[in-house]
Amino acid sequence: MASKPPPGHFNILYFASAGSYTSKNVEALPAPLPLRKLFDTLEERYQGIRGSVLDHSLVTINLTYVDVPDDEAVEEGQEVVIQEGDEVAIIPPVSSG
Amino acid sequence: MEGDVESQPVADGTTAATDSVANGCSRRLTDDEFDRYSRQMIVPGMGKEGQLRLINSRVLVIGAGGLGCPAAQYIAGAGVGTIGIIDNDVVEASNLHRQVGHATSRIGMKKVDSLITHLKELNPLPTYVPYPFQLTPQNAADIISKYDLVMDCTDNPVTRYLISDVCVLVRKPLVTAAAIQKSGQLTVLNCPPTPQGLVDSEYAPCYRCCFRKPPPPSSMVSCGEAGIMGPVVGMMGVAQAGEAIKILASALHMPVAKNVGDNNTPEKNLKQPTLLIYTFDLESAVGPYSFRALKMGGRKRNCFACGENSTLTLEGIKTGNPDYVQFCSAPAPVVSLAPEERITAAAYHAAKEKGELPDHLLIDTREKEHFSFGSIQGAINVPFGKLLMKAAAIKRDGGPATEILPAEAVKSNTPIFVVCRTGSDSQETVEKFKELGLDNGGKRRIVDIVGGMKAWKQEVDPTFPYI
Repeated sequence: MASKPPPGHFNILYFASAGSYTSKNVEALPAPLPLRKLFDTLEERYQGIRGSVLDHSLVTINLTYVDVPDDEAVEEGQEVVIQEGDEVAIIPPVSSG
Repeated sequence: MEGDVESQPVADGTTAATDSVANGCSRRLTDDEFDRYSRQMIVPGMGKEGQLRLINSRVLVIGAGGLGCPAAQYIAGAGVGTIGIIDNDVVEASNLHRQVGHATSRIGMKKVDSLITHLKELNPLPTYVPYPFQLTPQNAADIISKYDLVMDCTDNPVTRYLISDVCVLVRKPLVTAAAIQKSGQLTVLNCPPTPQGLVDSEYAPCYRCCFRKPPPPSSMVSCGEAGIMGPVVGMMGVAQAGEAIKILASALHMPVAKNVGDNNTPEKNLKQPTLLIYTFDLESAVGPYSFRALKMGGRKRNCFACGENSTLTLEGIKTGNPDYVQFCSAPAPVVSLAPEERITAAAYHAAKEKGELPDHLLIDTREKEHFSFGSIQGAINVPFGKLLMKAAAIKRDGGPATEILPAEAVKSNTPIFVVCRTGSDSQETVEKFKELGLDNGGKRRIVDIVGGMKAWKQEVDPTFPYI
């Protein structure tokens, strides 16, 4: 996987089926990005990823779980924004064993 | 064995087994136990007290496969007093690269019997309870309530949601893990268990708090389909045993109220448990990204199982509410091809043999590892994942649709046949090709081979190395 993201970017890690879907373990995306726009941004890049992967996955920023807001209705002052240098992870459930 | 008391849930959320653990702490260790457990008892924080707690504990291991084998081995070695094991499967040769509690000489044996054979060799002191059948909504509560802690070592989402729901209702801590291909996950849930409906960030989450709904089955593959590296699943199983030992030896699973004023209150750490992620990268050496510990949230207010308005009950579960199979199953198939767009493996083979298909392209959409073991003569490998990516890129950037095809097919109306592993990706591929206009308005035939290479092995070539 990759090291520090380039200036103006954040790293996003794709685990399990997110990695298979994107054919990547990690990539750098432009920052800042409001968290509520994250899924739209990924859907633009990887058509169908929302329904197949994102809707069922956990999301973390800098190793801490975050709730991705369902819609555009985010209260003022409550907006979570992914910042330059952050590390976001997409973690789909794994079932096998 | 002393303290071998049935644990039944009682009204105040404690269990009979809880009391037996407390009582057990005062007895002497036998010479046998003293010898066997000495190396772990001298570890700071463990001691005789921790060992007696393990000896008086009952752990249920659900699944005797890649997770269950190492998980059961280490808790048996550590001296957990009663170990129940559930699995309805039999040992197969393809299990043995990772399911290290079985053996070549026990292929064909029930997995629970095979694993218990191994565990008795390792440590004859614990009581082993075999359950050689599946965990079902009907039997789950009866079995789970007999134990102090549950280890989810299963291989499917249906059972995972059932186990978590029952653990919420009968208040048992759950150590859950999973692994596929090169990735593993592990977390401790419901620890310490708190009554359903009490919502506060102070309370530990359940599986549904973390994973509200299962992904579509099309994206959920099993180890049999996607593959699994032995050390990945083994690592997760060993880590499960580690968590279980820690919880039981330190009594972290005791009801919250009872621990108030206790000189160690480490259960606070579990309210926002850690999700451990392990990634095994075949392409790079051990690096800083192999392990990640992610801080999870607490119990979710709106959780279906443990949240404040939950209607989940044991009675409901027994009578089919919720319906776990339906919850985890696919909506009706989205692809519906016309009969002329499909051909059976046998009919394709016959037509080819008779020379009725002189010029055509056969695309095999399996992953390249599967393809490398064998393919139909003339097939060209375009893995399904790459194909979807290319299709999305073409749609987004408006490049020529023919970019998705191998060079051989670009110029003509050469018919295209598509085969995959079991017959569903190939249908989606045909649909995608048509969406991209590759059928040239009907001038080019694009055909799905029904049932994939699995059907090819059954209908045409029984010696085909299908994996």
